Amino acid sequence: MVGENSPFAELPVGPLQEKATAACTSCHEARIIVQQRLSKAAWTKEMDKMIKWGAEVDSKDRDGLIHYFSTSFGPDQATYEAPRTAAHASPKVRLKGKH
Amino acid sequence: MGSRREFLRTASAGALADLTSKTLLGAAAGQATISVPGKEGLIVRSYRFLDLETPVEYMTDWITPIPHFFVRNHMFEPAEIDAKEWTLGIGGEVDKPLSLTLADLAKIPVYSVTNTLECAGNGRSQQSPRVPGIQWGKGAVGNARFSGPSLKSLLEKAGVKDTAKHVVFRGSDVVPGKVPPFIRSIPIEKAMDVDTLVATHMNGAALTPHHGYPARVITPGWAGAASCKWLTQITVQDKPADGNFMLPGYRMPNQPVKPGEAVKPEDTHSVTGLAVKSLIAGPIDGAKLKPGSQVVRGVAWAGEADITRVEVSTDGGASWNLAQLGKDQAKYAWRLWSYPWKPARSGDYTILSRATDSQGRVQPDAAVWNPSGYFYDACDQVKVYVQA
Repeated sequence: MVGENSPFAELPVGPLQEKATAACTSCHEARIIVQQRLSKAAWTKEMDKMIKWGAEVDSKDRDGLIHYFSTSFGPDQATYEAPRTAAHASPKVRLKGKH
Repeated sequence: MGSRREFLRTASAGALADLTSKTLLGAAAGQATISVPGKEGLIVRSYRFLDLETPVEYMTDWITPIPHFFVRNHMFEPAEIDAKEWTLGIGGEVDKPLSLTLADLAKIPVYSVTNTLECAGNGRSQQSPRVPGIQWGKGAVGNARFSGPSLKSLLEKAGVKDTAKHVVFRGSDVVPGKVPPFIRSIPIEKAMDVDTLVATHMNGAALTPHHGYPARVITPGWAGAASCKWLTQITVQDKPADGNFMLPGYRMPNQPVKPGEAVKPEDTHSVTGLAVKSLIAGPIDGAKLKPGSQVVRGVAWAGEADITRVEVSTDGGASWNLAQLGKDQAKYAWRLWSYPWKPARSGDYTILSRATDSQGRVQPDAAVWNPSGYFYDACDQVKVYVQA
């Protein structure tokens, strides 16, 4: 499971969390998913594209997963707040001279 | 950005005065940062694959320092490439297929191009209705000096046949699952432009792995997807490249479509040159400003065209004022701009920026929606509050 200090985002808690994590994060992390704000029709299209590109989804889970993503990441959800990479303690980086 | 606005409203006035310039503001207050060596304070759109965005408040330098330069990856970066083992193949519709080493490239005269590189999907999160893809804010853009031999010199070395119409690039990205590889092409005319490079250096140093070490294409003034990283193969053809990242990927509708409407692939064309755009680097959206003189500043660029004018409105678009353009300029590079502003009263202000270019293009009030969320180019906008 992803921990508190992990650089990866987590999928929302729910009965399908584990299944979705297994199917969807073998190639890319969950942050790509959690930032989306799509209608159910658009989620359906994306899921089918991901399955075509190698996501292993049991056909009996497909509808449940579409519902899981549509309700968690529909168009009316608040914007996902992304974290930042660490900044160094040194003064603001400035380039000097010609490059 | 609700929690960020809350953070700004409760912070002290003194500290806020710095916000428009150098202070790094964390994302949601209290959110932990993620370590990416060599990349400082960038917004993590994805850690795996790595997609990092430049906060607009960093866009105050003409040349974007590497630690602040955005990173865009469709898939996995290659494992460490051995410079001594690396070769670049050139084949297809050429008289003499070649295999060049880095040492071979170093013997060819070097060109430098200062290029504003922008992801086609920059600004996507602002499209309405929302579309799938990396939800970039405003900062998938940066300006750097790229150096290396012209692609033209390499193609001439191989001898381009009359049948040559397109030049295909393949890089060493590691392709996951059954994802199609990232292969794209550009037309021969753009490939033979002396400013199109096989770059080995960025801002005076060798390309870093995130930016395509040891060599990448730089197709200046075009969407970033035309600038293949970790270049390994150039193939000259009589037709464009096949594959997902040419069709249906990276295409714009030939005619504007209604927001939310589907578009048939035959009614689209490949993305090429960037649109005219401007961004406000400061004050930042949601800032609480002390009364008195302010400076509105930012960047503006126009792909293959030049910026001729940047205008700023501090009254939500009712009236516009000419901004001053920065002195640094180069073909394909953005211009810095600034506008001194003394708000007449305290209260809320909506500040807009609007760029015009040498082709007569002007930023629109609203971007033309498209299903992929490419080329978001509406006038930039920030909302600020001037204290009494």
